[in-house]
Amino acid sequence: MSHTRAWGKPVAGSKVDLSVRIGSLMLRNPVLTASGTFGYGDEYAHVVDLRALGGVVTKTVTCEPRSGNPPTRIAETPSGMLNSIGLENVGLHRFRDEKLPRLRELQATVIASVGGETPEELATLLNALGGERGIGAFEINFSCPNVAAGGARFWAVPKRLEDTMGLLRRLTKLPLIAKLSPDVTDIRETARACEAGGADALTAVNTFVGMAIDLERVRSRLGKATGGLSGPAIKPLALARCHEAANAVRIPVIGSGGILTGRDALEFIAAGATAVQVGTATFVEAGAAPRVVSEMREWCARHGVKQLSELRGTFSAAPAQVVAPEPARP
Amino acid sequence: MSVAAKQRLWKQVTATVVMQRDYARGFRWLELEVASDFHMPVAGQFVQLLLTPPSPVLLPRPMSIAGAVRKRARAGKPGPIELGFLYSPVGVGTRAIAALEAGASVEVTGPLGVGYPLEASGTPVLVAGGRGVAPLLMAADALAAQGRKCEFVFGAREKELLIGLGEARERIAKAGGRLHLATDDGSRGFKGNVVQLLDQLQAQWGSTPHVIHACGPHGMLGAIARFGLRHGVPAHLAMESVMACGTGVCRGCPLPRSQSARQAVLALGAEAASLKGNPEFAMCCTDGPVFEAHDLDWDLIE
Repeated sequence: MSHTRAWGKPVAGSKVDLSVRIGSLMLRNPVLTASGTFGYGDEYAHVVDLRALGGVVTKTVTCEPRSGNPPTRIAETPSGMLNSIGLENVGLHRFRDEKLPRLRELQATVIASVGGETPEELATLLNALGGERGIGAFEINFSCPNVAAGGARFWAVPKRLEDTMGLLRRLTKLPLIAKLSPDVTDIRETARACEAGGADALTAVNTFVGMAIDLERVRSRLGKATGGLSGPAIKPLALARCHEAANAVRIPVIGSGGILTGRDALEFIAAGATAVQVGTATFVEAGAAPRVVSEMREWCARHGVKQLSELRGTFSAAPAQVVAPEPARP
Repeated sequence: MSVAAKQRLWKQVTATVVMQRDYARGFRWLELEVASDFHMPVAGQFVQLLLTPPSPVLLPRPMSIAGAVRKRARAGKPGPIELGFLYSPVGVGTRAIAALEAGASVEVTGPLGVGYPLEASGTPVLVAGGRGVAPLLMAADALAAQGRKCEFVFGAREKELLIGLGEARERIAKAGGRLHLATDDGSRGFKGNVVQLLDQLQAQWGSTPHVIHACGPHGMLGAIARFGLRHGVPAHLAMESVMACGTGVCRGCPLPRSQSARQAVLALGAEAASLKGNPEFAMCCTDGPVFEAHDLDWDLIE
């Protein structure tokens, strides 16, 4: 008995339509860069054609420039990395005056990530950027694990999320994407709160809070006690959170966490995601995100999947068959 | 070329291991060949080495370049570039790199960062501490190629740790430079550290302008920076940091700026400022790894 699903006949890669919709924003394909892993887009523009991506989610911008956390900011851990960057960014004005024009020039679909310590700060950012040409959507960073104020723990309160989304909703017609922390008891609650407040989509998930200790010195391997864990180490965790969030809401969910390959991305789609973000993989390979796009296209072509909606959310936990172990696929 | 354009000459390519051999005290010498379109690095720049899967580590390893030679042209096309690395396998990642044999493939991203301004006027004084000798071998090569004499100051705890001394000698001989050795235990050359030796040498320099290019432990570099500031000798120091991307994107390798550097960054024009965007921290990967003495706050660097 075959335990693989009966797929359609293979089709030509050109027949595969990878486009997806996030609110009113059409993306040519579902692969976005994760905030904080692609700078402001232009850093990689000489090696990556930004037009080959679904979109670029920029480094989170805050009202004022931020210098970020003291060193050490990076610690590699098994199959992953901890970061304690602390939202270093150029601030609203330089983002608008220097970074955005460059992104427009590169013809990228831009999703501006914004972060704040209060709903009012987020409102200021949306008001200042909402009328700018070249922004396709906003991602609201409700989930930075590395800042003392306005971080993941502050925002992971359903009522606060719902009220804040409600406030922001009134300020712009552009799609609003709420980026969620995985470090909550029940991600369905934060997901539903954002939906109720008027979010057009969710990103699930940001990094997981983690630690690494230099045993000989009995000190953190980071400048702070904790950091955010990313990379393939978190993929199974992120997949589970993404699946849970996608089942809890009607709005699209953007899967994120440890995606290195097209297969990884498609697993998120099967778990219910509409789009995906590639993050840490870019630090390993600058061209990771466009490679994920072509790997997704190849897989879909081989399996006769002409549109991602045919695969989306089709994951089933039901059949508890005893199956022979299959070789791991890269 | 603008600063921004200069920094964006890096690319990620597949390189082939030409050879790798043991060096003294567990050090390794690795030679990689990259295609001709790889940008020719300057001394002090680095690359990110990424093992092809399956790799025991996720992130690439930043590695200082110890030599870069363009090979003979092939069929009228520019020849490939051979990159040399002198390193010590200290962790899981570098131990896996140490196991690479001739013919193996490895991914190389580079050249990255800002190297030594070897064109700076004055007699170049190359100061190496222990394994920090790697980029200075390349600097000595470049100076020899220009026919410029240099002073090469090489220090270590003991004579066995003067790794790469043979290579240093060869290069200095080519340019007719002078080699000065220092060991903490006096087993070779001057008894003491390189900064104490620099103090002695400086007394002989008189009014002839000198410029220091150094690499080694951060403590040593801090002492050289203070020496340079004290005596008005420009000093360029190659720093190290844990890194993720190596290209300025992840903001993962901050080094604290000095007060004067903070002011300078705040006063910069738009283009330079967007590269050196952070007044409090410089990024080791793109603002450095080579910094001037007055760029950094040495009291905060360990």
